[in-house]
Amino acid sequence: MVDQLSPLEPVLRTGRHGHLADGVGVRLAETQPGSIVQLAAWPGEEKALIRTIKQVTGLALPDGAGGGACGNGKAAFGFAPGRFMVIGEDENIAGVFAGKLSQKTGTVTDLSHGRTGIRVSGARAEWVLAKLFAIDFALPAFPVGSGLSTVHHDIFAQIQRSGADQFDVYVFRSFARAFWHTLRLASEEVGYEVR
Amino acid sequence: MSPRRTASGGMVDRSRSIRFSFDDRFYVGHPGDTLASALLAQGVTLFGRSFKYHRPRGVIAAGVDEPNALVTVLRGDAREPNIPATMLEIHDGLTVVSQNRFPSLAFDIGAVNQLGGRLLGAGFYYKTFMGPVLGPLKGTRFWMFCEHFIRRAAGLGRAGAVADPARYERMNAFCEALVVGSGPAGLMAAKQAAAGGARVILAELDPRLGGTANWSSETIDGMPAADWAAAVLAELAAMPNVRLLPRTTVWGYYDDNTLAALERVTDHKRTGCKGEPRQRHWTIRAGRVVLATGAFERPLVFPGNDRPGLMLASAAERYAVQFGVLPGRKIAVFANNDGAYRSALALREAGASIVTIIDVRSDISPAARDLAARAKAEILAGQAVVATEGGKQVSGIKVQPFDAATGRLSGDVRAIEVDCLAVSGGWSPVINLASHAGAKAVWDDKMQAFMLPPATERWTGAGACAGEFSTGEALAGGAAAGSWAAGGASASDPVPEAGGTVLDIAPAPVFEIPAAGKAFVDLQHDVTADDVRLAHQEGFVSVEHLKRYTTLGMATDQGKTSNIPGLAIMANALGKQIPEVGTTRFRPPFAPVSVGSLAAERYGEVRPERLTPMHDWHLENGATMYSAGLWHRPMIYAKPGETVDQAYVREARTTREKAGIVDVSTLGKIAVQGPDAADFLDRVYTNMFSTLPIGKARYGLMLREDGFAMDDGTTWRLADNDFLMTTTTANAGKVMQHLEYLLDVIWPDLKVHVTSVTDQWAGAAIGGPRAREILAACVTGTSVDNDTLPFMGIVHGEIAGAPVVICRLSFSGEMAFEVYSGAGHGTHVWQALIKAGKPFGLVPYGLEALGTMRIEKGHVTGAEIDGRTTARDLHLDWMLSKKKPFVGSMMMDREAMISPDRLQLVGIVALDNLPLAGGAHIVERLDRDTPRDSIGHITAACYSPVFRKHIGLALVRAGKSRHGERAFISDPLRGHFGPVEIVSHHFYDPEGKRLHG
Repeated sequence: MVDQLSPLEPVLRTGRHGHLADGVGVRLAETQPGSIVQLAAWPGEEKALIRTIKQVTGLALPDGAGGGACGNGKAAFGFAPGRFMVIGEDENIAGVFAGKLSQKTGTVTDLSHGRTGIRVSGARAEWVLAKLFAIDFALPAFPVGSGLSTVHHDIFAQIQRSGADQFDVYVFRSFARAFWHTLRLASEEVGYEVR
Repeated sequence: MSPRRTASGGMVDRSRSIRFSFDDRFYVGHPGDTLASALLAQGVTLFGRSFKYHRPRGVIAAGVDEPNALVTVLRGDAREPNIPATMLEIHDGLTVVSQNRFPSLAFDIGAVNQLGGRLLGAGFYYKTFMGPVLGPLKGTRFWMFCEHFIRRAAGLGRAGAVADPARYERMNAFCEALVVGSGPAGLMAAKQAAAGGARVILAELDPRLGGTANWSSETIDGMPAADWAAAVLAELAAMPNVRLLPRTTVWGYYDDNTLAALERVTDHKRTGCKGEPRQRHWTIRAGRVVLATGAFERPLVFPGNDRPGLMLASAAERYAVQFGVLPGRKIAVFANNDGAYRSALALREAGASIVTIIDVRSDISPAARDLAARAKAEILAGQAVVATEGGKQVSGIKVQPFDAATGRLSGDVRAIEVDCLAVSGGWSPVINLASHAGAKAVWDDKMQAFMLPPATERWTGAGACAGEFSTGEALAGGAAAGSWAAGGASASDPVPEAGGTVLDIAPAPVFEIPAAGKAFVDLQHDVTADDVRLAHQEGFVSVEHLKRYTTLGMATDQGKTSNIPGLAIMANALGKQIPEVGTTRFRPPFAPVSVGSLAAERYGEVRPERLTPMHDWHLENGATMYSAGLWHRPMIYAKPGETVDQAYVREARTTREKAGIVDVSTLGKIAVQGPDAADFLDRVYTNMFSTLPIGKARYGLMLREDGFAMDDGTTWRLADNDFLMTTTTANAGKVMQHLEYLLDVIWPDLKVHVTSVTDQWAGAAIGGPRAREILAACVTGTSVDNDTLPFMGIVHGEIAGAPVVICRLSFSGEMAFEVYSGAGHGTHVWQALIKAGKPFGLVPYGLEALGTMRIEKGHVTGAEIDGRTTARDLHLDWMLSKKKPFVGSMMMDREAMISPDRLQLVGIVALDNLPLAGGAHIVERLDRDTPRDSIGHITAACYSPVFRKHIGLALVRAGKSRHGERAFISDPLRGHFGPVEIVSHHFYDPEGKRLHG
């Protein structure tokens, strides 16, 4: 299989940047998972879809939009009523779900090429993301594993908290470079490291 | 030592010096100084010239309420006018100039306006410049003549002409409790709310938190108030659930407890750290809000009350105690309440001599008398200041007996030599934010002020803002408010006790001393008491009209010191009580807000760039890009020395003769999935899709509900319940919203999911007579011959190891194929196609060539599907199914929609061999001088390499019946008037032979 070309790779400047007097406030990295898949349930079939997600990924999701889980290189979260994102290192998650998910339950849409995952981590991650999104990123309000859909002006974004100070942001591939630029600027103040 | 700086005391760091300039002269101040305190310390009293009369003006206040001392800050070539000197922290290199003066602050030609003071009263401009032209000196023509000179002479600071190079930022914050103001009440509220477990934001507009505790002589909890504040702040700073925001002005209170605030992040620094914004706009979403915003002291209105050296008593106290600056050595105090006596004592203890305290009241409380005695100040009870003397600095005052009950002056006038007059006319709680939130102020006769109404579920007041004027009351009120903000948590510690003289600061109801002379109500806009009375004489009754006629309370300070006195004078003129006259409702912003902070991170980058997977290849291969909506797309790939016209003509010609490839990744792509997907498409499109076999594509047209054409594109059936819809680039978002609306609202019973997959796929359209050979040379896993891949057929295969989906369809009119691959493989596949095409003469082409070929072919785009055309107008009536209803079918046959006189799509050929331009009108009769009688307009135009002519598409009235007719281009904007022939829009290969191969 041919490797995917990252939209960010040509503009990634690895290393430390910005105001570093107090150390590195955030680390920025492209996650480059093998698969990014959207699953959508028909009304009333949400629980069946959550069961299928657990069957395929081992991740037990709470019911309802916003709930999620992550671990072992896999992540899943509900980003809208009846709609879920599943992310993993395996390149054929969409194919596996297509085989497992009954058409009576919902649909599978492969977005592995269409979305770019960016990880923002570090002590100032909440601060940097709060500059861009009108979201309460505090841990009690947005616990580890949970996810949501939001927007930064024209850029639609889905965000999952993958750690106490770690967030994975998924944006449309075509906007990835513009968003990266915005994210870098927002991170300069606290010092950032690109990995 | 500076002439007015005290030897000790205050919160400035005398061990360090800061050098700054004011009007090209260098001064030295200390960390902790504002520009106002630093200049006062140097003996500077003249800060600016007044708005209308150019009178010399000094500092009146010590905070955000300052109306007079506005300055312009210069940063490189950028200039920011109208910054209160009281809010500007000094730093090394700070460069400030005064405003509204020429040639200098000390000698200002505009001061001649004072001689015409009577003429320049309220309504001067209305009376002089409005209305019909009756003579040479009346009317709007006169205004137009004078405007330039008046605008130069009047007004505040001058805005800069260069782009602001500063950086701004936005921040979103959430909390259970927002406390606005960090005086004793605010600190107690924040402490209590935080102890109760709430997430707390404490915002303070000054650099130093603590509010009045910073300059109070009182004790709290047995220690100096400032020490108590410092201890509480240290405690709060250590709590993880508390965010302290100094230098942050909460300026707006909006719905759902959303508040706007402006943080001045680096204004106090010579240079910020890397990445630090100059200012940060905060959007704070708070569960509950505690308004601990304090109160503004009011001035009194009397002749000469604007002379430099006059200031509010609390401001004089603050300069002495917080900044270690004496505003004068021989100070008189003029008051209508007890509060000023405390200021007098503080000034005395700081080293000034209190010459006298003039009080309009004849009955002075024992507590106030005690303070006066300690200040060694003589009390002149039942007297008032009736005049001031001096030039650019007050040198004396005149005092006369005054009856506060009747408002009459009588008896002998006494002159007193002073160099500063501290004035106190009572206190107005700062209720602006509550007013933004919808609260209606309540008049309080005792305090002679508008107060907060009872608290709501969303906010409460604490401290002076809520009428709790003593420190003890403020601490108790703050604690209660903090407990409420934390959801009713009980107090963690007992409320600390305040020590010091408790004063009743209720003022006598005196706002104006009725002596002869210019007595200012609004110092910023030069509105006098006589102006207010003039407005009344001329029939103005409403306070809103008063404001607009006199400009009272307008401009940058929004009447913080002038609203209540102005209202009182108007009420007196009307013979009414103040609450009967009413007050204006405060609107945001509380204090001026930089536009840059509102634009925040979007400054200079209004919209993000949207890039296709092959973007970098296009740049590396000489493409000239231009924006199509958010997308960046290749316009041409010019060879060295080629013009745009030469490049696109070469690209189009080569495509028709050999082969060309274009990036079509920007086309909107929507996955339409589910058991009802085919049924849904039948309803959305005008033509049938349920009959489309798997592995085939079909051209589709969709209408709006009103029957007009909305968008077109091909939809591919990938599986029984899985379709890939393509839309035009420009309409992708609109179509997606349309589909989601239909599924959510109109047909929620349909089992269909729609998902944007525009970014999932990279698209390359390869067309021309050699296109099939090129594909055959690089595609594996499938044949691309006519049987396997017929017109509108779809195959799956690989190119250079990457999976691809190929659909045979054409926009150029040549045999063509759209090759879709995963976006991450887009460049890889594109390069493989370029390499395979090299032996066949393949060229990449851009949007200019794409547009040229589609015009030659007569295909429509958004230029023709412009929201005003129907399917029939565009000759697409063959797509209107009669076998099924669809969105728009009920409306598309209305009489006006099928009229033969509608604008219809035609082709246009220039007969003068000159270029045509989109938007040019088409007329039957040429009239260069008075262009008229348009019968339509050109939608798209190009030079056609095939026909070697300038051609275009146009929408022309009854166009179908005009084929072969002559008409004219009327394009006065670009100066083109010339003959054209109206023809069929199918210029090129109308039978489609080339398309089908």
